[in-house]
Amino acid sequence: MRNWLVGLLIVGLLSFWGCQPPDKKTEVSSDKTNTSSEQVKVAVAGPFTGTAAAFGEMIRRGAELKAKQINEAGGINGRELVLAFGDDAGTEKEAKLVATRFATDKQILAVVGHFNSACSIAGKDIYKANGIVELSPGSTNVSVCEGSDWTFRNLYRDDFQGTFIARYISQVLSEYKAVAVLFDNDDYGRGLRDAFTAEAKKINLDVVASVAYDRENTDFSTQLTNIQGKKPDIIFISGLYEQASLIVKQARRLGIKAQFFGADGIDSPDFLKNAGISADGTYLTTPFTFGAGGEEAAKVAAAFEAEFNVPPDTWAALTYDAMGMIAEAIEKTYNREATLAENRKAIRDHLASIDTPEEGFIGITGLTYFDINGDTVNKPAYVKVVIDGKYTTAPEQMLNLDAFK
Amino acid sequence: MEQFFQQLINGLVLGGIYALIAVGYTMVYGIIQLINFAHGEIFMLGAYIAFTLVTFFPLPIWVAILVGMLFCAGVGMLMDYVAYRPLRNAPRLSALITAIGVSIGLQNLVRMIWGAKPQTFSEESLPAFFRQVSPLVEPTSFFSFLGSSFTENAIQFTENVSLAYLDLTIIILAIILMVGLNRLVTLTKIGKAMRACAQNRVAANLMGIKTNKVIAITFAIGSALGAVAGVMVGVRENINPLMGFHKGVAAFAAAVLGGIGNITGAMVGGLLMGLAEVFGAGYIDSLIGLFFHIIGLGEFYEAEKISHSYGSGYRIAISYIVMIIVILIRPTGLFGKSSAHRA
Repeated sequence: MRNWLVGLLIVGLLSFWGCQPPDKKTEVSSDKTNTSSEQVKVAVAGPFTGTAAAFGEMIRRGAELKAKQINEAGGINGRELVLAFGDDAGTEKEAKLVATRFATDKQILAVVGHFNSACSIAGKDIYKANGIVELSPGSTNVSVCEGSDWTFRNLYRDDFQGTFIARYISQVLSEYKAVAVLFDNDDYGRGLRDAFTAEAKKINLDVVASVAYDRENTDFSTQLTNIQGKKPDIIFISGLYEQASLIVKQARRLGIKAQFFGADGIDSPDFLKNAGISADGTYLTTPFTFGAGGEEAAKVAAAFEAEFNVPPDTWAALTYDAMGMIAEAIEKTYNREATLAENRKAIRDHLASIDTPEEGFIGITGLTYFDINGDTVNKPAYVKVVIDGKYTTAPEQMLNLDAFK
Repeated sequence: MEQFFQQLINGLVLGGIYALIAVGYTMVYGIIQLINFAHGEIFMLGAYIAFTLVTFFPLPIWVAILVGMLFCAGVGMLMDYVAYRPLRNAPRLSALITAIGVSIGLQNLVRMIWGAKPQTFSEESLPAFFRQVSPLVEPTSFFSFLGSSFTENAIQFTENVSLAYLDLTIIILAIILMVGLNRLVTLTKIGKAMRACAQNRVAANLMGIKTNKVIAITFAIGSALGAVAGVMVGVRENINPLMGFHKGVAAFAAAVLGGIGNITGAMVGGLLMGLAEVFGAGYIDSLIGLFFHIIGLGEFYEAEKISHSYGSGYRIAISYIVMIIVILIRPTGLFGKSSAHRA
């Protein structure tokens, strides 16, 4: 009988832990729901756990740094900026739960997030129905902002990015003739693949294979073997860093010599860490790089490093700016007497009014303004290349956006 | 043809891993008719222990594997003692639900200790011949034999067919451990006791066999084998709190395929499952293309670019389909017997 009880107790305890979120900080801090009039609350949604957790980590830090700086400078019109974090684990299912929780929270004025395109799309209708702004610092799929006046983003779209990569390969890396595509079978991976293959067809870049993989998978040798048979010179990975790092490692282990090219989805320090020496020579596009940022960006990078002991990445910078935009909108529009819905609407109207370069928000990632959909179309793509385990700004850049219009 | 041989190698490696995990499921089932869902987590725990040892204490990977085996054997026995032994005579469903609870509990425990982020064995922590070589330099060929060249980390059979020493190690380890297990069960006293328990636990007990001890040892052996597979997968791919779930489910399917409760069945089932997954995923897209050509829509297929190869993204589903087909034809699995005589 005693054994029985001990067993039950331990199993019970373990399963109880199972119900706890792995990281308490990802939970909306419930003790603060009774926000005093001296506080304003903004939510941050991202993949704080799961296979895209490295992005989430940087997003959290970028948001925390901006909030800290705002509060140290006296807050937003004297009110303290409080953050609430919601973990979508990079999955649509969780994203919907997080979106519902934020949208129905009586204190939250706006949401910075989500990161994964699929998550932003999954949350879109919920945010729209509840009238709350969703400002994504990382979703690049073409359809993210379509059909909702409440969804914005402060970076480029994949139709631009995919086209850009195809042209970069054919113009700058012209010694590579045959391309194979490995794509993540989700909104981001497929959208980027479509943009890439469409442009490749136009400019006669030979796409010899286009193979799907599933994000839950960790063994890609089957797909890589099939690709190897098609003898590509360069392999374009349309997916995220975690799988990409496994792909480059396993490709080298199979003796595949082809060059690798990735998109912003593999722009994470964890890609370098996990792939190690196999990452060398990999090219990638990114919406921002500190190497090309100005003085202000360098200052923020220094503050970030002092705070978290690691240098910031692209996503920390974009989240930092997104948080800045929301804070500015709140500063300009917040009315204590108004209802929650009115305040949320005012933030949206303010963001929507930022639609010309003159009115644009100047952040560390450059000028941000929105088109009619809520998309940002003025930001260029930078190309980085991995040299000796570090991201280095590639010698050849194609920053002239007019060529893509 | 090159592709076929490379896929065969990929399949054998995966099959070896599945076989190592599957015997853990099957041994426990054979002896107490419990589907130990927490076995996948033991496999994961082995990987995490070895990872910690080679990363923080710099121990060589071989030592880490041994410690991981011992640790997991301990956890396996503890799990039996704490969670399953008290339920030995309870309805089978109670033990099954407990197993699911232990599985979720261990998964979250690991997540609490090591974090949710996937981790990778660093290159420095591995022996030289497991390490990756820079893609920017030509691999050096140390010597050639029958047209195959031996480089820093792989045997290069032809230009497109190679076998990494890491994968070779997995295959060899799997074979050694499988043969060892087979000898243990058929030739030793404890093996005989295990078979006796599997046939009839009560009668075995009446004959003076300490059944609880035998069951504990069964858990220990299964867990230790799972730990080896865990470390190898960790080195080959990565380690994350969900790895036990993903590989565990496939290995469980392999055990069912081979006839759960039968050790030889689990070995063969694991191997078949690995091959089915790799060949299924590797050739399904060609088959779909062929199908379109046969029904006369070949041009449409090429033009409309349905030829984005989606099939390989569903590789796990493919292995389940194989399992379902086998179970439909032979409900007891390949080696299973319909009677209670299992060993």
